[in-house]
Amino acid sequence: MSDGSGEGRRSARAFTPDFLTELFRNPLDPGYADAAAQRAKTGRPARPGWSVGPVGLAVIVLLGFLCAVAYRQTMAEEPGRAQARSGLVAQIKQRQDETDVLSARADELRAEVNRQREAALGGSQAARLRDLEASTGLGRVRGDGVVVRLADAPKGQDVISGANVGPPQVLYLDLQAVANDLWSVGAEAIAINGQRLTATSTIRNAGEAILVDFRPVTGPYEVSAIGPGSMRERFDTSNSALTMRKVAQNTGISFDVRDADDLTLPAAPEPRLRYAEPAVSPSLSPSAEVEPSGSGTSPSPSGGG
Amino acid sequence: MIAVLALLAGVALGLWLDPTVPAALQPYLPIAVVAALDAVFGGVRAKLDRIFDDKQFVVSFISNVLVAALIVYLGDQLGVGGQLSTGVVVVLGVRIFGNVAAIRRHLFRA
Repeated sequence: MSDGSGEGRRSARAFTPDFLTELFRNPLDPGYADAAAQRAKTGRPARPGWSVGPVGLAVIVLLGFLCAVAYRQTMAEEPGRAQARSGLVAQIKQRQDETDVLSARADELRAEVNRQREAALGGSQAARLRDLEASTGLGRVRGDGVVVRLADAPKGQDVISGANVGPPQVLYLDLQAVANDLWSVGAEAIAINGQRLTATSTIRNAGEAILVDFRPVTGPYEVSAIGPGSMRERFDTSNSALTMRKVAQNTGISFDVRDADDLTLPAAPEPRLRYAEPAVSPSLSPSAEVEPSGSGTSPSPSGGG
Repeated sequence: MIAVLALLAGVALGLWLDPTVPAALQPYLPIAVVAALDAVFGGVRAKLDRIFDDKQFVVSFISNVLVAALIVYLGDQLGVGGQLSTGVVVVLGVRIFGNVAAIRRHLFRA
């Protein structure tokens, strides 16, 4: 800052390559020492006690002001973040509602199409079509069967003593195993929490949530299956039932199987059809061109979402 | 004593006026506060070393705040804003710690 007397010390304080060491050793602004030396030279007395000059006072006021403003600013940003979050949540809710409305409309239209088709087709062919739709999951079905109920362990019940984990939860693998065993003991139609399973259905997890056909399902999970009367006993001795009973005993997850009469399982959303396309450009065979109609080529969201 | 009163007056002023910070200046505010704190602790230590100087205090305060803001601004322009402000906070933090250690030695002889 000031020069004159500082020449001798300045060489000692020269910028060394070991900048960090210097920083740690001597954190005070060297200007203070310079100013003190200057004062000693001119004989001007230092300010006594804790008094500060008017400019220093102004700076201290400014400092308090700065701190207060920064504090206010940080506090003011907090609700903004919360607002953004709740806005996003509201948007998600709204989109979900829209999806529900649209899929209800799709179901309505599909029922209409079915009616028209049955009117147009002859009796035996229509019956065959209905059977096929029922077995592939594209049609609503009704009948007797079983309901397997799985639920997470209640919160606050510390079953695994000492371990600092949340309550034991039903995994997507459990739902997969139950669904697969139900198929293998003769189930003709299965739905998880009202989501009908088809040959292409997926049961996966994304983080904490379980997705059935990319739609989240939440506990308690009810796997409803329609099938022959012997299904209940055969399922009770299946691998997944035995495993889940054991798991339920050990962890507090609830698992039970009951007979249910007159179950109604909804239709699965229309599957998106996929077409094979020629890998090379069809310059040789113009007949191989893909027809533009059909949902496979268009990226429009079909009932799956 | 007067200094503490002045500080309280500044805080009261800030809370009472409640000025809105322009959006362009908002990223620099926290860094500016840290830089100001560095200047203040330097001043307190100088006071205890009996080498306090008004001019030096004022100049270091203002230059600290401006340089810190400038570095963050440059970092933003170069695309390393976050890292550079971390660096500024580390350096200022080291200086604050050093000065506070010196103040502690003065006050408690420990």
